[in-house]
Amino acid sequence: MAIRVNPGFIDVLDKFGRENIQLCYQCGDCSAVCPHADEFYKFPRKPIRQLQMGLEKKIETTLEPWLCYYCGDCSDLCPRNADPGATMMILRRYLSSVYDWTGLSRKFYTSYKWELGAITIIGLMITLLFSVFNPNGIVTSLTPEGGVKVNEMFPVETVNTGAHIMLITIAGFLISNIIRMWYFTILKDKTLKISFSSYVIQFRQLIIHFATQVRFSKCKDKKYWGFHWILMSGYTLMFILIVGNLKWFQTDKIYLWYHPQRLLGYYSTFGLLLGLVYFFYGRIKKADQIFKLSHLSDWIFIVLLLFTTVSGILLHIFRIEGMPVATYYTYIIHMAVLVPMLCVEVPFSKWSHLAYRPFAIYFSELKKSALSIRNREKLFLKHN
Amino acid sequence: MAEKLKSPKIGVYICWCGTNIARIVDVEAVTQYASGLPNVVLVKTYKYMCSNPGQDMIVQDIKNHKLDRVVVAACSPIMHERTFRNALRSAGLNQYLLEMANIREQCSWVHTDRAEATEKAKALVHAAIRRVELHEPLESMSVKMTPDVLIIGGGIAGMTATLEIADAGYPVHLVEKNSKLGGNLLRIDLTAPYLYSARDLLTERVTRIRDNKLIHVCLESKVTDLSGYIGNFSASISRLNGKEAPNDKPLKVDIGNIIVCTGFKEFDASRIVHYGYGKLPNVITSFELEKMIRSGNIETKEGKAPKYVAIIHCVGSRSREFHSYCSRVCCMTALKYAHEIKSAHPACYVSDIYIDMNAFGKGNEEFYRRSSEAKTLFLMYEKNDKPVIRKASPKDDCGMLLEVNEKLSGEQIEIPADLVVLMVGMEACEDAHEIARLVNISQDKDGWFIESHPKLEPVATTTEGIFIAGTCVAPKDIPDSVAQARAAAARILARIARGKIEVDALFSEVKEDLCSGCRLCNQLCPYSAIEFNEEEKHSNIISALCKGCGVCVAACPSSAIKGRHFTDQQILAQIEGLFAEIL
Repeated sequence: MAIRVNPGFIDVLDKFGRENIQLCYQCGDCSAVCPHADEFYKFPRKPIRQLQMGLEKKIETTLEPWLCYYCGDCSDLCPRNADPGATMMILRRYLSSVYDWTGLSRKFYTSYKWELGAITIIGLMITLLFSVFNPNGIVTSLTPEGGVKVNEMFPVETVNTGAHIMLITIAGFLISNIIRMWYFTILKDKTLKISFSSYVIQFRQLIIHFATQVRFSKCKDKKYWGFHWILMSGYTLMFILIVGNLKWFQTDKIYLWYHPQRLLGYYSTFGLLLGLVYFFYGRIKKADQIFKLSHLSDWIFIVLLLFTTVSGILLHIFRIEGMPVATYYTYIIHMAVLVPMLCVEVPFSKWSHLAYRPFAIYFSELKKSALSIRNREKLFLKHN
Repeated sequence: MAEKLKSPKIGVYICWCGTNIARIVDVEAVTQYASGLPNVVLVKTYKYMCSNPGQDMIVQDIKNHKLDRVVVAACSPIMHERTFRNALRSAGLNQYLLEMANIREQCSWVHTDRAEATEKAKALVHAAIRRVELHEPLESMSVKMTPDVLIIGGGIAGMTATLEIADAGYPVHLVEKNSKLGGNLLRIDLTAPYLYSARDLLTERVTRIRDNKLIHVCLESKVTDLSGYIGNFSASISRLNGKEAPNDKPLKVDIGNIIVCTGFKEFDASRIVHYGYGKLPNVITSFELEKMIRSGNIETKEGKAPKYVAIIHCVGSRSREFHSYCSRVCCMTALKYAHEIKSAHPACYVSDIYIDMNAFGKGNEEFYRRSSEAKTLFLMYEKNDKPVIRKASPKDDCGMLLEVNEKLSGEQIEIPADLVVLMVGMEACEDAHEIARLVNISQDKDGWFIESHPKLEPVATTTEGIFIAGTCVAPKDIPDSVAQARAAAARILARIARGKIEVDALFSEVKEDLCSGCRLCNQLCPYSAIEFNEEEKHSNIISALCKGCGVCVAACPSSAIKGRHFTDQQILAQIEGLFAEIL
């Protein structure tokens, strides 16, 4: 059955940050240089072709853009400057919007008004929430150690409940989108037969790649992976400390500097800062292919993270130094940045890749093993 | 029969050709062998006989030893016969007293056994020695050159050649079958890749032709008869059927040279049945689209602006069933259409369905890139798996769907189209055969006129005085056609400037007293060089037309024709020499 070509699809892609896709004349140099492309996953060439031709149904099923870490080698080599690396990035944005059933992802990626608007509204709501519904106001008395009584100003139980509601909401969206991703990329292909045991055996891929992104290290320049991992580990650790275990983290006690609570917090802060400095520097200088093109979603991601980190550091200093007024306002600012960042970026925008990418690797391995079994069977039948 | 000289003095020169010959052939052994043969005065070897010292050596020997025959055993005569003939001439010897033995292409390059190759080289040298003994001094002759030129075809090539010659001050007769000058270019709007207007290109030429007193334009006319030979042709130009006035007589003109610029015609798209040309109203050819563009209205037959346009390349070209060649201009023309369609309808999507994108030469690759930037969708089909066009169903948003196996994605796809443009290739004109017979030139299997050498003589033909230029030779674009036209004009101008033309001494002669007047040779001559003298009832060879091919010599039942420089005696002596050691 012939598939209908949609020459207008390229216009749809424009809104996700199109970059010279139409210039590609399919020489395949990009796939030849990419360390991640193989006999099963012939990207970037193949998805670019499907995209040029507007084969939406094919693009929905492809996992390949997620296997790319955008090192930029392909774009450096491209004889027509069609920028295949950037195209993979655009496809990741597009695919995120395909997986997302709410339609918000598409809105956020394609309209800066929507993305900035959502962040502002959530930020204002949080500010309102903390300033209006705050029973104790600014508590000026200090703890015996000389620290600010944060928990009296912002009762940890209440904040923690709020954090859990947020966590469940975000996870709900993200998980439902991952199920849709699974539907598009695995279930829809009726020819694929994936056994339950395969799901179990390959599950390790998900864990390994979530924790290490070790495939990123296959790219020629290892420093991208290094900085990305440091940022990611700092961020994830902080997320677990705050959202998962707020009672331990938001405390009026001042631990000694070598206490694990402080050391873990410092590591996270260090990781976040180092990563942020590197990414800001790269995106401003635009020397490397990977940083040449920055979409609004790329900027918002690191700007919000920077605000969160800096306000977090200030909060820590103000609390220990016993500055209640500064602590009070910084806390609210910290929350007014952190909450919209998590609510908008994680399920619907740039940060969703923390879930989509490891799952894509998991699914791609499942597909690959199913395909190689099928190929072996074909070969067997051919020889008998 | 040539008298064998009492004691010819033959000099034999054996070339090493570096190691090309000397590696396989024992040059010294051949030298020794040759020195023992009768009439051989001296034998010399040299590393490169064609070099200046090698030629000087021959010249000096001819003078010092009073040599009257020379044999050079070296490469093919195609390569260096002219070189050594010149050496003989500068030593005061007739250039035809030379014979070459090809011991490179016909010996050292094709053999591996040194002993056997050496024996073969000896035989070849012996044959040459025996042949050269019978060579006669021949003189080439010269004929007068009429400066008037006849140009057949008034397209861009014909007009350019006309102006080139007339601007140099010589009269030109320009014959065009249509009622207007311009040829196929008249049907074109813009030209790829720089988007110059074809109309502008033409207007300038036509105006200059009209204003030039030396140019005699014959519209709606054709050349009906041609006789004579280089420098001395006589042509009849007649008005086309239905155009002549009651008492019109063909116009007789005397000319010295002719340029044929009869152009091309487009491939008949209805021959490819599954493109549905002629059945589906919105399947049109490139020239029909060109017409729409010129009228400023690109639309479907229903009068609507197309939302999707599909352009199919290589219609009739590069295929086994139709023409195997590439028509050369269609790829860039298709890109030009993509540009023109997008300019007219910015919301329209253009799909360009090609086999390969041949963006050769200057400016074209950039043009291709610009077309990509303008979001033309390029789709590749397999040569022998052509797209199939069918009507779309009412629920589709397009008039037609093209089904094609897209090569780059490996997918079986459907392309929407409201208008399908077939990039029809070029083919030789219907009357090309008639013209070829008229001016006595050859056509290849596709009907294109054959040049005398595809690389080095692109505008000359095997008939002296007849030149070809433009798309009647092969598909080509405007710059190439113009270049060929100017090249042909330059060749002719150089001859006119000399006023006379040298004719090679290698032609055949009829011994009139032996000729029975059977006229067998008249029909056989591939160059129409033999005429029959009705009064004296014998055949006569026009030496200026004769190429010395020898067909008439072999065919003559009375042995009345002698091929100069290829007499029976010379050839038999050569054969005897070849087998001297075996027999």
